[in-house]
Amino acid sequence: MTSEQPDYYRILDVSPQDSLETIQAAYKKAQKQADGKPKTAQQLIHAAYEVLADPDRRAIYDELLHEARQQDLHISLELSRDTLTISDQEQLLYMLVEVTADQQQADQKKHRPLNLCFVIDRSTSMKGERLNRVKQAASLIFEKLTPDDIISLVSFSDRAEVVIEATNNSNLRLLQSRISSISPSGGTEMYQGLMAAHKQLAAVNLAQHNNHLILLTDGHTYGDEVECLALAEKLAAKSIGISAFGIGTEWNDTFLDKLVAPSGGHSNYIEAPEQVLKFLQERVQGLGNIHARNVRLVSHFSQAATISYGLKISPFTQPLALSDEVMLGNLEGRAPLTFLLEVRVTPQPREARVRLPLEITGDLSAMAGNPREKSYRTDAQCLVLAEAPAAEETSPFLTKAVRIMTLYRLNEKAWSEAQLGNIDQATRRMQHLTTRLLEAGETRLASQAQMEVNRLNHLGTMSLEGRKTIKYGTRALIDATLKLDQNENLS
Amino acid sequence: MKTCHECGAPQLEGSLFCTECGVEMAYQKGATSGNLTTALPFKQFTSPKLSPPVVDGQTLLKTVQKKLVFMIPSSRRRVILTLQEQLYIGRANPEAELYPDLDLAGDGGEDAGVSRVHAVIQMTADGVVLRDLNSTNGTLLNNYLLDPEMAYLLSNGSEIQFGELLVHIFFD
Repeated sequence: MTSEQPDYYRILDVSPQDSLETIQAAYKKAQKQADGKPKTAQQLIHAAYEVLADPDRRAIYDELLHEARQQDLHISLELSRDTLTISDQEQLLYMLVEVTADQQQADQKKHRPLNLCFVIDRSTSMKGERLNRVKQAASLIFEKLTPDDIISLVSFSDRAEVVIEATNNSNLRLLQSRISSISPSGGTEMYQGLMAAHKQLAAVNLAQHNNHLILLTDGHTYGDEVECLALAEKLAAKSIGISAFGIGTEWNDTFLDKLVAPSGGHSNYIEAPEQVLKFLQERVQGLGNIHARNVRLVSHFSQAATISYGLKISPFTQPLALSDEVMLGNLEGRAPLTFLLEVRVTPQPREARVRLPLEITGDLSAMAGNPREKSYRTDAQCLVLAEAPAAEETSPFLTKAVRIMTLYRLNEKAWSEAQLGNIDQATRRMQHLTTRLLEAGETRLASQAQMEVNRLNHLGTMSLEGRKTIKYGTRALIDATLKLDQNENLS
Repeated sequence: MKTCHECGAPQLEGSLFCTECGVEMAYQKGATSGNLTTALPFKQFTSPKLSPPVVDGQTLLKTVQKKLVFMIPSSRRRVILTLQEQLYIGRANPEAELYPDLDLAGDGGEDAGVSRVHAVIQMTADGVVLRDLNSTNGTLLNNYLLDPEMAYLLSNGSEIQFGELLVHIFFD
């Protein structure tokens, strides 16, 4: 149903609550008034009356009208070009997709309370400022939550302890004293912690809350990665999102990326302990303001096209785990949900149309409602031309997004080349990355990249710190440069 | 299939940035090439190739400050900069909001083949060094063509050529 569909109630000048008698009277009145007016107007009045006077048809109409008014998601799409040149080789194009919530509706919407579980690594390496800052941050965040929110807290080392059982956020003093009792010792066995958290989160009615697990760790988990990832899938299936934060340089970023992928969650690098609060606050703020959860992407491309890379840009930067159904996470806060896709197209005959429809589905239910899944489809296509068209202008925003995605991928590539022992290639790539970062004016990241070049030359390895600084640095670059642009576009 | 102008890697039609070196592919169309450093037909230098001293130069010093005076004969400009850690030399690139410490755009830098990011002068534990940052047309120090990325010791009165732009450097 589109918004151009006439509103039958307005045509008869009645309200949706009016009785049949009122509608009949209104119909007669409208008929008289329409005398002498064009035929289409009279037909419209008649059509309106026919529907509204029939209880069954009126019920169906009401439902449709309700849904049409709830057009709560807007999707806009941009292609790097809409024509392809005829070629016997594969070609590339980029798609930038932006999903926004109807701001007016979003403001009115009552949000579900949170069901939040913190999972805190208390291994020996967390000793001192790291653990102190994390505890402090958790306490402060509890203070900011509303009494309706459900919170729980699990700490883990070699085993897990439930520090705070799932409870509503009422007795703050008690909760804070429990938090302060956490003390560091032992190793890092994440699976235990995640299991305990799962139990706490599942203890409340999941459909009525925004469920989220926030993991803070500073090390590798030992021997239970497979179990952790399987559990993450399970959590995602129950609409429990995961955000994972690594502190320091010893943790495994590839693993955390995988851990948050099933739910379309977020992983990030906390360089210094004093930043813990800032990162957590941002995360919890977003969670308290969710317009659509469990947003997913399915591509209905013709055989000719496949998505070869995906990067979520907003509300936070995260590479997408490509599969038949790509998890995009939540549409939250004031920022749109934006992502960039790299699409490969196989050689096509002339005048062929390459269809690139996308389907985006999300759970739009407001407070306490049953899941209200809605799907939206976008249509885009590319036409294959025999001759190259005049140079197409790619929008600056799309170009910038692709530029930063390229930088991010260069670092990933160099790292995997270094790990495979392909030192020369990795060195060359890092040198290129240094130059690109300098060109972009990112002197801090550039000098880190230059240091990695030196390390590769002398030692044949790259540093964990460098990898994370550049990886998350380029992600943050997207945040910094692109969001600014987005805001400008909005205003 | 296109070829990257910077690293020569084959690139799929439609790629916006080279997947191997990250350089923007669109520049190849010539649409925006006005901003790009063009390779100059380099003269063969017949001067004796006496390499200036090469040093390790890995340790940057943050605490030491030194005043450097740059004399640029082509534009008769004299620039005094304080060296602390490092100074970048190149041409301003307002699009990327990249402004080098020593901007040679106004000194005919583009025609002389100065890259946007051309070279860097660093304050290291070994002394003041000059590194060419893989510039298109290279850097000459006292008429010696520098190997890119290597650290060469600068001395008072050194004569540097960024591409074909001559600059004299003096320590204050």
